[in-house]
Amino acid sequence: MRLIIRDDPQTASRYISDYIVDRINKFNPTPEKPFVLGLPTGSSPVLIYRNLVDHFKNGDISFRNVITFNMDEYVGIPREHPESYHSFMYKNFFAHVDVDPANINILNGNAEDLEAECLEYEEKIKKAGGIELFLGGIGPDGHIAFNEPGSSLSSRTRVKTLAYDTILANSRFFGNDLSQVPKMALTVGVGTVLDAREVVVIITGAHKALALQRCIEGGVNHMWTLSSLQLHAHPLIVVDDDATLELQVKTVKYFKSIEQVSLSQGFGQTLPTAASVLARRQTIVEKLYSPTSPTHSKHDSLDLLAEPPKLDRPITPEPVLDRMADRL
Amino acid sequence: MPISTSPGSPGGPKSHIVKFVNCRLIKGNELVNEDLWISSKTGKIIQSQIAFYQHQVIPDEIIDLGGRILAPGFIDVQLNGFAGFSFSVVPGDITEYVKGFRRVNRSLIESGVTSYLPTFPSAHQEVYHKVLPYCGPSGARRNPNDGAESLGAHCEGPFISPTKNGMHRIDVLQEAPDGFQDILECYGPDNLRPKHDSNDVFNPIIKMITAGPELPGVAAAIPDIVSRGIIFSVGHSEATYEQMKAAMDAGSTMVTHLFNAMRPLHHRNPGIFGVLGQGDKLQRPYFGIIADGVHLHLTSVVIAWNAHPDGFILVTDAMHPAGLPDGTYDWTNGDHFIKKGNVLTLNDSETLAGVTIPLIDCVNNFYNAAEVSIPEAIKPVTSTPAKMLRLEKTKGCLEHNADADLVVLSEAQEGSGRKALLVDQVWKFGSMVYKRQI
Repeated sequence: MRLIIRDDPQTASRYISDYIVDRINKFNPTPEKPFVLGLPTGSSPVLIYRNLVDHFKNGDISFRNVITFNMDEYVGIPREHPESYHSFMYKNFFAHVDVDPANINILNGNAEDLEAECLEYEEKIKKAGGIELFLGGIGPDGHIAFNEPGSSLSSRTRVKTLAYDTILANSRFFGNDLSQVPKMALTVGVGTVLDAREVVVIITGAHKALALQRCIEGGVNHMWTLSSLQLHAHPLIVVDDDATLELQVKTVKYFKSIEQVSLSQGFGQTLPTAASVLARRQTIVEKLYSPTSPTHSKHDSLDLLAEPPKLDRPITPEPVLDRMADRL
Repeated sequence: MPISTSPGSPGGPKSHIVKFVNCRLIKGNELVNEDLWISSKTGKIIQSQIAFYQHQVIPDEIIDLGGRILAPGFIDVQLNGFAGFSFSVVPGDITEYVKGFRRVNRSLIESGVTSYLPTFPSAHQEVYHKVLPYCGPSGARRNPNDGAESLGAHCEGPFISPTKNGMHRIDVLQEAPDGFQDILECYGPDNLRPKHDSNDVFNPIIKMITAGPELPGVAAAIPDIVSRGIIFSVGHSEATYEQMKAAMDAGSTMVTHLFNAMRPLHHRNPGIFGVLGQGDKLQRPYFGIIADGVHLHLTSVVIAWNAHPDGFILVTDAMHPAGLPDGTYDWTNGDHFIKKGNVLTLNDSETLAGVTIPLIDCVNNFYNAAEVSIPEAIKPVTSTPAKMLRLEKTKGCLEHNADADLVVLSEAQEGSGRKALLVDQVWKFGSMVYKRQI
C-alpha cells in the first residue's frame, strides 16, 4: 500500500493527475496497445479531471489511445440528464480532451436487459486487456463505486439498489424530489476494481477521515469496501491532511517517511510497466533454469538429504507482553 | 472494441463538425465558459453530448477563440439598403436587382449581420409588385456563400400617417378604406401568401408591415395580416395610447423605431410609448430603437431599455450608402445624399436624410450608455428580434438545432474609456464567411 499525504485537495489531486500522465506516457499507448483506464465520478475527482484537461491543453499528454471504463451509472435516468454520469464525464473530462468516443465505455443504465449489460461490461474489460489503472474515490462510508457497505469483496459488475441514505443524499441533485432520484445503479464490483493492475484512490476532506482510518489501519472488512485494497498488489491512496484526522500520528509519519526515503533513494512511486516486469522475469527465469547456470546445477546436485543449515543467531526470546488492559 | 476505426480518427471519414473551445458563449443573460459544436454540413448547432456518445463523432476542426465571446449572428429588422444598393429602387433591368441583392447579402454579413429584413419605405405599389418577390426569405439553400439571409421583407408604409412621414414620400402614402383588401392590392397578394417551409413555419415574402393603426381601415386589417404569419408593427403613426392598445389587442406585437415618427410621451396622453409602462402582467410590444446617437438621445435609449428590456430591439434603419466610404450618392428623383461618417444629409443641406451606421456601432452605443452587461448588449440584436419574428428556435441563440450563424467578438477599450465590442469573425450556416484582418 502506498499512501501519499498532501496538504490540501489541490495538491493531492495534482499528485494523482501528474501520476496518471506519467503512467500513460511511460506506457506509450498505441492503437494496438491502448492504455486502459478506469474512471470514477463524484466530487473528489473533479479537480483531477481539471488537471488532466490542463495537461492535455499544454500538450503533455494525449488520450487518443486510451480506452476508458467508468465505474458506474444510474439506472433509469436519460443519458442526457444533467445528473447522469455520462453527463458528468462529458462535462468534466471527455468534452475537453482528445479521447475517442468509440473508446469510451460507460454502463448503460437504460439497457433493456441490465444483467446482460453488466456481463457484457466485464467481457469488454477482458477484451480490452484488463484495466491498467483504476482511478477511484470513496464515499464517507468507505464505499468504492456503488459498492456500498456489505457488498461482497469479490463482486463483479452488477445491478445494485441504493441505500436509502444514498437516495436521500442524492435528492439534492434532483430538486429535492425523492421520486426523481434513481433507486438503482449499475456498478463495477469490488472484484472488478481489484483485478486492475493498479488502483489509485483519492480521498479528501475530514468527512472521509474515518473511512480512511478503517481502510488503512483496520482489517479487510466488507463494511468498508475500500479496505479490500489491502489485498491488492499495487494500490496507491492519495489523501489530503484533513482526511488523515482519524489516523494515528504514527501511521501518518510512517507513510510520510517512506515517501521521503524512497525519494532520497531516487525512487518515485511509479509502477514499472507490466511489459518490463514480464521481460525481466523472463530473463531471470532463463538464467535460473539454463543448464549452464551455476545455480541450476547446484539445485540439481543439492539433494533433499542435505541437512538444513543451522541457525547462527540466538533463538529469539519469548516476548514479554504487557496486559491488554494497559493498552486500552 | 473498435480502436483504430472510429469515425473522425485520422484518415477516417470527415465529421464536418467544428468545435469552438476557450470561448465565452452568450446564453441568456450569462456569459458561460463552454465549448460549442456546430456542423458545417447541416449548418446547425449540435448537441455535443449526443453527437459524442450516440454518434461517436469527433470534430474535424477545433478552433481556439482565446477567451473571446461567441455570440449568435446579428439580426437587423430594419435595413433600407447597403453597399450602394437600395431595396426599394427598381432598376430598368430586373437582373441588376437580383445581382445587387446578392451583393448586399455578401457584403452585409461582414458587419456581423447574418440575417435581416430588407426594408421598403413607402413606395408606389409597382415597386412592391416588381421587386418584393426577390426579397423574400433567402436562406432555404443554406449556402454560407450566399452571405446574410433575408428573413422576409419589411414594408414600412405606405399605410402611414402623412403627418409622421419622416423621409417617406408623402405622395405615395395611402389609407385602407377597404381594409385588408387594400393592403393585398398594394403589396400584391402573392407577397402576403403564407407558405409553409420544411419546418412548417409560416414564411410569407413579407415578414413585417409597419403601419399606423389610426388610419382608416388599417386596424381592422390587423387580424388578417397577423394570421398570415406577418408581424404588424405600429410606426410612423399618430396613434394615441388607446389606439395602440387596440392595435395590440388585434394582434400587433411591435413598434417601429420607437420615439421617432410618433407622438412623444405626454403625461395626459402617453401615446405609443405608454404601452411600455404597463405592468409585467400585461402584454407589451417589442420595439425597434435606433441607437445611432442621431435619431435619439442616448438617454431616451436607456429609458426605453429600462421600461421593457425584453422588448428592446436595436435596428440601424441604414440607407444604401452604408458600408461605403464618405462621399456623394445618388438618390431618387435627382436628389443625392452626402455621406459624412454615419450621417447622410440631403442635397448639400443640413437636413438629416438618414444614417449608415453598422449594427455593431448601435450595440456599442447602447452598451456604453446603458452600462449593461455584454449579454444584455447583444440580446437586442439576437434573441429579442428572433423572438419578435417568432424564429427563436433557429435564430438568435446558441441552443442546439439553431442555425450556426455566429459572431466572434473581442472586447476593446478606447482611449476615452469607451468600451467597444469588435466583430472578429462571422459564421453563417456553420462556415466562416468573414475574418477581420488584425
